[in-house]
Amino acid sequence: MEIKPILSALSRNKTGALLIALQIALTMTIIVNSVFMIQQRQGQMERESGIDEKNTFLFSYMGFADDFNEKTRIVEDLDYIRKMPGIVAAVQTNSAPLTGGGWSMGLARETGPDADGVGTAIYFVDEQGVDAFGVKLLAGRNFTADEIIWRERTSNDWPGQGVVTKALASDLFDGDWQAALGKTVYINETQPINIIGIVEKMQAPWNGWRGVERTLLVPNRTLFGGGRIMVRTEPGERDRLMKEVEEQLFANYKGRLIRNVRSMEEIRTESYQAHNGMNTILKVLIVCLTVVTALGIIGLASFSVNRRKKQIGTRRALGARKKDILRYFMLENFLITSVGVVVGAAMTIGLNMVLVDMLNLPKIDWYYIPAGMLLLWFIGQLAVFGPAKKACQISPALATRSV
Amino acid sequence: MLKMNNIRKVFRTEVVETHALRDFSLQVNEGEFVAVTGPSGSGKTTFLNIAGLLETITAGEYFLDGVDVKDLNDNQRSKLRNEKIGFIFQSFNLIPDLNLFDNVDVPLRYRSMNAKERKERIENALDIVGLANRMKHIPAQLSGGQQQRVAIARALAGSPRFLLADEPTGNLDSAMAESVMELLEDINSKGTTIIMVTHDPKLALRAPRSIAVKDGKVSEVSRVESPVEMPLHEPALA
Repeated sequence: MEIKPILSALSRNKTGALLIALQIALTMTIIVNSVFMIQQRQGQMERESGIDEKNTFLFSYMGFADDFNEKTRIVEDLDYIRKMPGIVAAVQTNSAPLTGGGWSMGLARETGPDADGVGTAIYFVDEQGVDAFGVKLLAGRNFTADEIIWRERTSNDWPGQGVVTKALASDLFDGDWQAALGKTVYINETQPINIIGIVEKMQAPWNGWRGVERTLLVPNRTLFGGGRIMVRTEPGERDRLMKEVEEQLFANYKGRLIRNVRSMEEIRTESYQAHNGMNTILKVLIVCLTVVTALGIIGLASFSVNRRKKQIGTRRALGARKKDILRYFMLENFLITSVGVVVGAAMTIGLNMVLVDMLNLPKIDWYYIPAGMLLLWFIGQLAVFGPAKKACQISPALATRSV
Repeated sequence: MLKMNNIRKVFRTEVVETHALRDFSLQVNEGEFVAVTGPSGSGKTTFLNIAGLLETITAGEYFLDGVDVKDLNDNQRSKLRNEKIGFIFQSFNLIPDLNLFDNVDVPLRYRSMNAKERKERIENALDIVGLANRMKHIPAQLSGGQQQRVAIARALAGSPRFLLADEPTGNLDSAMAESVMELLEDINSKGTTIIMVTHDPKLALRAPRSIAVKDGKVSEVSRVESPVEMPLHEPALA
């Protein structure tokens, strides 16, 4: 191996090689952190919300007519929807996973302002809530119809029962989610809620929230002048029923608006639009940086080959085979890239520390670093192959020419 | 040792065909010192390139040390060049970024030779040319004559059967040229065959055998029983 003479030659022509090494280091830093961020976002996007997204849709209503009686309207609308063929369940609710807006409160095992609380999202539902969202009840029971309480906008009272997600139960009871069943927790510092059921999974409305898996269902129907209704259908019936429900409800009563009739799949897509957009930008950035770096390597190698034509001819005259010349340039690039990726590894960790500090991102997994190094080595070798192949074609007779 | 029969070399482009060598025949025996002379464009360098396996022939036969080189592939030609031929170029062709040790090491690296043996050969070769104490210097730190000595050391390090020298003193002043010629004569006296291309008739007279090339053919062969001791610089007037 010609490592020593190559290093010796590079040390006498540092500038170009150092600039390329620096470019490689920067590329690695940005690419590795970008890939990590993409993976993080992709992981978030692939999380299940816990509800039956394929067969559910959500819409909003808002009363505006003088004769609009919200309580009567909710009861009649829900009765009508629930009787429609193909409907599994329907529920009035304040929000749904992935919608981006909803309620949150703190829950604690003790009363009083100093008690350690756990933040949770809150969904107001009735006895069909569990079925309408399509969540799986792991333990305990669902609400009964006589437990449902009408709630005014200004009310601060909370019903005495609640159904929690496994994640919330686990956070409240030190990892032992089963211990939560039948226990009393406190909301608003003093108001007790008895945990009557535990569901496997149901996300909060905010996809970027760290406590996204912590959710509390309470037996309330709201009288806020408007609200949302979640409808779950038989498989394959959703799209038909989305239209029919909207048309029939409007036909039944024209004194309220029905808006934003959207499937949960549409809501998911909208919810992660920013994530998708950022991922696309990062992917474009990665491709651009990779191309620019590869072009830089090709440029330096081509310049190097052109500058050393006579030298290559001399080496060939002295007995170098074509593959020896190829190996020389590949090895030279490998050494330059190695400097780049070693510096890049340190810079990658440094940038990640800044991102952890500033953007609250998790620490990068260790294996991203060697993977990034391998990628940059591969890009380097791929980029230099063309100029190196060209160098192989230089005739040994060039050694005796005056060029 | 080197035998060429009716060698032809034609360079072709889309519009022109150049006959660089025509029916060129030559035999060089082991231990000879042959000077090849001729005017510019006569085919001297083409002959040297073909003799050194740097270029292929268009027609004819060429045997190098008994090996018919016509059908050898690129790798075989490279191997033969590396093992049997040492080159000395007019402009030295040293690698400017490498020190003298690494420069002399270049052809040895293309052989399966361990580091210890290479080191011994490099030190010995640099010792022969009188530059053993400067092996960490780079070529730019040496005079032209010293650089050519390094090139000779590089050629000698591989213990070649042949030395092919292309105008070895062409870029040197007369004093340095004299010392390089003395070195070549010394090397020849120890048994290495030397073919030296030159356009300088005085240099050619230093060789026991001289051939003149004209229009791609051997036009004249002269033999000197005992070579002329001719200084390369004009004697000062008294």
